[in-house]
Amino acid sequence: MSTKQLGIAVIATASVEIHHETSKSLEEMIFETSKRALNSLGLSADDMDAFVLGGNDQIDGRIISIMPSTGPVGGVNHDTTMIASSSEHALIYGYLRIMAGQSKRVLVASWAKPSESVDPDRAELVAAEPYLLRAVGMNETISAALQASRFLNGNAVDADEKFVAWPLTRKDLPGRGDSVHVVILAQEGSFEVGSQFAWICDAGWSTSSYELGARDLADFESLKIACNQISQRNLDSAPENWNAVEIGASSEYAVRAIHEQLPLKADVVVNGTGSLSTQFTSPFVLGLSRMMRAIDAVKNASTPGEKYVAAGIGFNGFAGQGASVIVFSNIKDVDND
Amino acid sequence: MINVGIIGFGQSHFQTKRTDVTFPELVKEGADLALADAGITIKDVDAVVYPLAPDALIGVGNGERWVIDALGATGKPFMRVNNGGATGMSAVLTAWTHVASGLFDVVLVAGADRVSESGSAQSVLNKMWDVGYERTVPLNTITMLALSAQRYMHLYDSDETDMALVTVKNRKHASLNPYAHLRTPITVEEVLASRTLAWPIKLGDACPASTGAAGVVLVSERYAQRNNLKPAWIRGIGQNSETYWMGARVGEKSQGDHADADALAHAFDVAYQQAGITDPVTQIDVAEIYAPFSSVELHVIEAAHLAEKGKSPEGLRNGKFTLGSSGPVVNPSGGTQCTNPIAVTGTIRVGEAANQVLGRAGAHQVPHARVAIASAIGGDHQFYSTMVLCSDLEEIS
Amino acid sequence: MTSNKNASANDSSAERFYEQTWDLQYKHALGRTVSRFLDGLAEGKIWGRRTTDGRVLVPARSYDDLTHEETGEWVEVANNGVIEMSTVVYEAFNGLPKPPYALAYVMLEGADTALVGYVKGLDLSVQSVAIEAVKIGRHVHVCFAKTPTGTAADYWFELEATS
Repeated sequence: MSTKQLGIAVIATASVEIHHETSKSLEEMIFETSKRALNSLGLSADDMDAFVLGGNDQIDGRIISIMPSTGPVGGVNHDTTMIASSSEHALIYGYLRIMAGQSKRVLVASWAKPSESVDPDRAELVAAEPYLLRAVGMNETISAALQASRFLNGNAVDADEKFVAWPLTRKDLPGRGDSVHVVILAQEGSFEVGSQFAWICDAGWSTSSYELGARDLADFESLKIACNQISQRNLDSAPENWNAVEIGASSEYAVRAIHEQLPLKADVVVNGTGSLSTQFTSPFVLGLSRMMRAIDAVKNASTPGEKYVAAGIGFNGFAGQGASVIVFSNIKDVDND
Repeated sequence: MINVGIIGFGQSHFQTKRTDVTFPELVKEGADLALADAGITIKDVDAVVYPLAPDALIGVGNGERWVIDALGATGKPFMRVNNGGATGMSAVLTAWTHVASGLFDVVLVAGADRVSESGSAQSVLNKMWDVGYERTVPLNTITMLALSAQRYMHLYDSDETDMALVTVKNRKHASLNPYAHLRTPITVEEVLASRTLAWPIKLGDACPASTGAAGVVLVSERYAQRNNLKPAWIRGIGQNSETYWMGARVGEKSQGDHADADALAHAFDVAYQQAGITDPVTQIDVAEIYAPFSSVELHVIEAAHLAEKGKSPEGLRNGKFTLGSSGPVVNPSGGTQCTNPIAVTGTIRVGEAANQVLGRAGAHQVPHARVAIASAIGGDHQFYSTMVLCSDLEEIS
Repeated sequence: MTSNKNASANDSSAERFYEQTWDLQYKHALGRTVSRFLDGLAEGKIWGRRTTDGRVLVPARSYDDLTHEETGEWVEVANNGVIEMSTVVYEAFNGLPKPPYALAYVMLEGADTALVGYVKGLDLSVQSVAIEAVKIGRHVHVCFAKTPTGTAADYWFELEATS
C-alpha cells in the first residue's frame, strides 16, 4: 500500500459459549454480549458508526436474521449490514469498512443457537442442494468425514472407536452448542493507544467449488489462495511469521493437515487454546470463535514490546469450500512505502 | 477517498416463472449479462459480493455456496449480504466498500431470485417476526405495508386514488422498459376495481413475484482511468435502521411514524451530504427508489425530499414524477412495483440509475439526466440503503 | 458411452420439477420476560416493561432497542385501548389463516407502544363496513382465551360496544 494508512485494531471483545441456553432468548443473548463488549470500553451503541452482523436463518429459526438482531446489538438508527455467508466474513467486512474510510468504530456480532432447533442436523442438511446432495444426507459432519478420509494415508483407525462418521469420532469434531461473539474494531486515533487488544495486520479470503467431487478435499485450495493474498501484500503477516494460529477446521484431521501444508514456523502454536471438541460452537461461527482466540493469544503474548503474530483461520461450506485468514499482532506493521 | 463507479449493468427479462434453468444457472445469467455489459470477463473480477435474501425462498440453506461455481467466483474473495428486501442494494454498498478499501479494483455483484420456487412465500415471510410475540398473528410483507398505507391516508388525508396514481405512472413507465415484468398500462379505475389483498392494498397496488437475474460491476477510479472507461460515479451512500417493532412506530413517544420513512430520510441525508446535494428537487434528475407497493412510493418520494411530507399525492395529481414532466422523474423503469425479484431488486435500482446518468436507459431515458438517486428497503420497513450517482465527478450544484 | 452430436440432451427433454419440503422444527427459548408476559395472559393481564427513559414497552421486552438498555419495572397496562393501525385481509396466502380477518395494532391505556392482535367478533363480509369498523381511533378491549395455550394466541381484541 503506497499511502500511509492508519492502523485498525480490535479494541474489545465479548463471547458466550454454552452447551445449550434455555433461560434466555437468542435476542437476549445477543443483547447481553453486545452490551458487555460496549460496557468494557465505557462506550454505548451510539459511539459506533456501523454494525456488521452474521447469522444463519436455518440454525436459529429466524427467517431474515438481521431483523430481530439489529435491536439487540444496538443497531437501530445506525448503518447495519448482515453478512450471511459466515461469521468471519462479517469480521472482514467490518475491517474493510474502516479501511475504506467509511467507519471509525464498527461493532461486529455473529452467533448460532442450534438449541433453538429440535434437530440441528436437519437444519444443516438443507444447505445441501436439493437435487443430489440432500438425497445422500450431506451435512457438515459427513463432509468433514469425507475430507478426513483423504488424510488416512493407510494409517489404521482403531476399529473399536465409536465413530460419528468414519473415520471421525466425537473428539475429532468441533463441539456443538450455543454461542455469540462480539468484536469492536476501531481506527487508530479513535481509541487510547495501548488499550487495544490487537492490531489487524491483514485479511485474506477466498472460495472454491461447491462440488465436493470437483476439488481435492485434502488440498485446502481456498485457504492457500487466502494465505497467498496476504503473502503478496505483506510478507510480515505471511504464515512463515505466525507465532500462533487458531484453526477452525471441520475436524482435527484437517487441523493436522493444515499444520503440515502451510509454511509455518517449527515452533508455531497450533490451536493453543484448546481442541475443537472442547468448544460449544456451530459450523457457522467456528471461524470467528477461533479468530477471537487468536486475538486473545496476541493480547496475552508473554513479552511486551516483542512482536507477536497470531492468525485465525475459518472455513465456510462443506469440507472447507471457503476459507478466511485474519492476522493479528501486538505491534502495528510499519508501512512499506 | 477512492472514487468508485459502475461500468456495467445486466438484467433478465423478468417473468413469473423460469423452468429452463436451475437456480445457479439463473444466477450465472445475471453475472454474464453484467460482465458483458461492462466489456470484461470474470477473469478481470477481483472479488464478488452476492445478494441473497431468505434462503427459504430458494429452498437451500446458505444458498450462496451453491452458486459459487455458476458465478465463476471460485478462487476469489466472496461474501454474501442479506439485508432482507434491501439486500440487492446493500450488496452494492458492500461492494463499494471492497473497492474503496483499496484492496480491489473490480468487484462483481450478481444474483437472482425465483420467488415462485417457494409455494408459500408469504407464510415463510411471516416467520420474519418475533418468535415470542408476533408470529401467532398472520403478519406478512403485504399486511405490514397495508398498515403503513392506512396510517398515511389517515395522517395526510390521502385516499386510494392517490395510490392508484402511482401504479398508473409506474405501469406507463414499465411499458417502455423491455426488461420489466408487468408492462401493461393500467387506469386509475382498473386499479381501484382490482381485488383487495389486505386493505387498502389491492392487486393493482402490489408488485409481482418476479423471476430473473441482475448484476452490476463496480470499479475504482484508477481502473477506469487506466482502461478509458466512463462509469456512473457513486457520489454518496447511506444506510440506516429502524426499530423492529412496528408497534413502536405509533403513539406520542414513537421516534418515527409507520406512515412515513424517517429513518430512510436520514439515510438519504447522509448520501446527499457526501454528494453535495443541497436542493434535491432541482439537483436530482432521476430517482430509482424501492417501493413494492404504490403506497410505499408516496412516502419514499417524501423521504428523498422530492416532496414535503404528505404532499407527494399532490405532485402526482399535477403530473410530476412522470417521464416528460419537469423536475425529478421517479422510477422511469417502472420500479419495484412492476418488477420484484427480491434478492436483486435493489441491484436493479442502482443499475437503472447508472444507466440513466450515462444516457443508456433507452425508451425510458430521462433526457440529459446527470444526477440520479437509488434506494432500497428491507425487513419490516426497517433497513434502508441510499445512493447518489452522477455522470461525472464535478461539483453537483 | 455413446453420444449423438445432432440431438443434444437439453433440447429433447421436458423440463422437470423436484418437490421438496423443509420440515424444520424449532423449540424457541423465549426467556423469562416473554414467559412472564405469556403467563399474564392466563390471568387476564397485559404486562409491559418500563425503559430507562420512562416508556412502557408492550408487549414486555427485557431490553429496549432505542436506548439499548435493559428495561426495569414491570407495569400492568389496561385491557382497553385505541386502534393505531389496522388492515382487513381478503386474500388467501398459502400457510396463513383463511381470510377474511382483521389485524390491528392497539395502544392500550398506560402503554407507549402498540400491541398487535386479531380483531374478532366482526362481520367482515362487506369491505367498506369492515374497514370503517376497525378504523384508526376505534376503542377496543383485550379478550383472553378461556383455555390458555401459553402463546401469544391467547389474546385478541374486540370492539368496545360504545364505539
